Amino acid sequence: MRRTGSGRAAWFAVLALLATAPAWADDIEFYQTADRTEVGTEDAFHLTVVVVNAPANAQVRLPQSEDFEVLSNSRSSQRSISLSGGGPAVIQDVTRHMLVLRPNRAGSLTIPPAILNVGGRQMKTEPVRVTVKEGHASQGSAQGSARPALPDPFRNMPSTANDTLGEDEEADEPVIPRGDSDLFLRSTLDRDDVYVGEQVTLSLYVYSRVDLSSVDSVTMPKLEGFWSEAVENPTQLSSDQKIVDGIPYRTYLLRRSALFPVKPGALTISAAEADITTGFLFAGHRVHRIANALKVKVRPLPAGAPPGMSNANVGNWRLSLDVSNTRVELGQPVTVKVVLEGTGNVKNITPPKLTGPASLKVYDPTTTDKLTPSRNRIQGRRVVEYLVMPQRTGAFTLPALEFPYFDPSTRRYEVARTEPVTLNVEAGAGGSTSLGTQTPRLNDSASEQKNVLTSGGIRPVRYQARFEAPATPVWQRPFFATAVLAPLGLLAGVALMGGVRGRLATRTEAGKGKQQARAARKRLAAAEKLRAGKDAGAFYVEVEKGLLGFLDAQVGAPLGGLTRDALGERLAAAGVDAERRARVQFVLEACDMGRYGGGVEPAERQKVLEAAAAVMEGWGR
Amino acid sequence: MSTETTQGYYSPDEAQALFQQANEAYAREDYTAAREGYDKLLAHGFGGPDVLYNLGTTHLAHGDLGRAVLSLERARKQGGKAPDLESNLALARARQVDKVVGATADEPFLSRVTAATDGAMVSWVFLGAWLVGFALVLARRAWPWARGTVTAVLAGLCLTAAVPAGALLAAHVWVHQNVHEAVIVSPTVAARELPRDGARSLFEVHAGLKVQTLDESGRFVRIRLPNGLEGWAERDGVADI
Repeated sequence: MRRTGSGRAAWFAVLALLATAPAWADDIEFYQTADRTEVGTEDAFHLTVVVVNAPANAQVRLPQSEDFEVLSNSRSSQRSISLSGGGPAVIQDVTRHMLVLRPNRAGSLTIPPAILNVGGRQMKTEPVRVTVKEGHASQGSAQGSARPALPDPFRNMPSTANDTLGEDEEADEPVIPRGDSDLFLRSTLDRDDVYVGEQVTLSLYVYSRVDLSSVDSVTMPKLEGFWSEAVENPTQLSSDQKIVDGIPYRTYLLRRSALFPVKPGALTISAAEADITTGFLFAGHRVHRIANALKVKVRPLPAGAPPGMSNANVGNWRLSLDVSNTRVELGQPVTVKVVLEGTGNVKNITPPKLTGPASLKVYDPTTTDKLTPSRNRIQGRRVVEYLVMPQRTGAFTLPALEFPYFDPSTRRYEVARTEPVTLNVEAGAGGSTSLGTQTPRLNDSASEQKNVLTSGGIRPVRYQARFEAPATPVWQRPFFATAVLAPLGLLAGVALMGGVRGRLATRTEAGKGKQQARAARKRLAAAEKLRAGKDAGAFYVEVEKGLLGFLDAQVGAPLGGLTRDALGERLAAAGVDAERRARVQFVLEACDMGRYGGGVEPAERQKVLEAAAAVMEGWGR
Repeated sequence: MSTETTQGYYSPDEAQALFQQANEAYAREDYTAAREGYDKLLAHGFGGPDVLYNLGTTHLAHGDLGRAVLSLERARKQGGKAPDLESNLALARARQVDKVVGATADEPFLSRVTAATDGAMVSWVFLGAWLVGFALVLARRAWPWARGTVTAVLAGLCLTAAVPAGALLAAHVWVHQNVHEAVIVSPTVAARELPRDGARSLFEVHAGLKVQTLDESGRFVRIRLPNGLEGWAERDGVADI
């Protein structure tokens, strides 16, 4: 059997691999540093103990002292491989122990050294001296510390905290309250030194190391001296990670508001409050937390403000004029929009008022706002819309508008301007040159005087008169009483006439009887003349007619032609007594005998005549 | 333009000419001449609401508040209610010195009724309803064709309408006979407790104030203010409307 390689070549390959293998660094480094050398009793600071290239069996004993309280303790390891030249790669292990300490007393304190035990060998760090004051130490000492050099244990964790806070969010870390270190509220401002009218953003956070179930109620602070606009008002809790004094917290944004101070001075924002439920389901626990109060130094606007400047005119603004039509017919309205847009308190600014010549009637405007907050800054546009109605034909100019404002970013006053706008008003289809009386075409009459008309003053005298004599009341005029009484008089007259007529009618009946009686007596007088004559028939005819006529008048009914019996009954019915009825019968029978029987003696005629007269004369008694 | 009064001192054309002259005098603020012109017309029977209104306006412009109110009230009483009259009357009242405290709407009912109605109109309505009603009654008696139901109903309606019209007319007559309105024309008039010069002065009234006159005794007339205050004032300082 034949061998395919040599043993020497294999040995060279192994040596080559060994030559290129990484080498472990063998120099151990061990030290500790504090991020601050001057702290307050209310402050926390970081102590970092670093071990470089410690073997696996190395044991680190961190410093312990009764003068300091360990708030937090964490450990991180880092392995780095470095290649240099053609040599092997060098591997370095770095282990950092990070402690968050808070001094328990004031004074010049010493953090004892940390100790490293490696295979029976002991290494110590240098002690660290810290000067501790009561309360909080000054900001400057903290900023002067080596804090930026400290490693962030969560530097590799994804976090959006900075993005959500915005570019102007305050970087100041909150102070962890002693009693409520696991759950506390924190109000922050993006700045605390501003000008009047400049935006300050107030944010209210919950810092929590426990599970939150819900935020039941939030009471925002009193904002006296501020104009407030809501920027964010989350309806759901969403957390971010944030390290406070080295302690990781979950932060929840509760409210964010834009505040615009309306007066200079030191303004105070009182503490917000919230009721928060922690835990889940039956393990829930409701707590009440109060945030920190804040102070804002508000500077007055600098001197040298242009005319028309107001404390609300702060920010960065652009002014424009939008005219719907610059050539219109008389009677057609024109819409003019004054647009002010930019960054600042949109709802509190007052765009310049549109004015125009008297020939352009400018009606009261309507104002609309549109807020478009961006990166926690209030910005948007305010549009004031005017309706302009030309009153005459001609060319009229809407003057330029100016809006002075203070720009806090440049700390200078600026003026936003528009250009004048000319409206050409032409006659409409009817050809009228004005909406009122006919007036000549005018060119820009901005300076013409107003004709002020008031409702007071004496009304003028009447130009024409209707003359009237002093009037007597209608009821006092003579005809009135007459006219009122006339119907009554007329009615009475009619009634009176009726009575008279009745009476007259009665009296006529009686008179008729008398007339008939008189006629009968005349017949008897005629018969008296015939008594001695030869014609006896004529005598008796006259006597009979006279008697019957008399009886007709007395009875009131014609009696001629009746039989003697019927005549007797009629007379009896009329109340004639028997003796008189007998005389009537005697006379009538005598007349019949005288006319047909031939009795012509004068004595007999006299007797009949006397009997007839006796009937008539004794009647009615 | 019409003229109802044709008899008298002026012809209608002369009256119109005089009226225009007075107006022109007013226009050039010669109030004395204007007032004289209107007074001449009134004195010769050429009156009416227009002349009285112009006279009152002239007095108002001249500053004679009492006679201004007097003339304007007379114009209104003669049926000359118009916006210009009411405006000038309001202006005159606004210039009055006196402010009657406690004056309420407690004016007697009859006075309010008569103020709200036109006496002449009421008179004519009553007279018409009365005459027509009786005419229909008489017609029913006189002519058989008029004895239908329609005639009876019309007669009843007319006579029924004549009843409230007659009552209203009676109210006018009563107010006319018993309520006498007047205006203070003197700049200042003292209202005294008794109708004599030495009597105690109760209060003072000034030109333009409208009052009621209740009684008269010698040179004095008893006046009543709208709030019920009464006193005796010199007759010369008070003019009946």
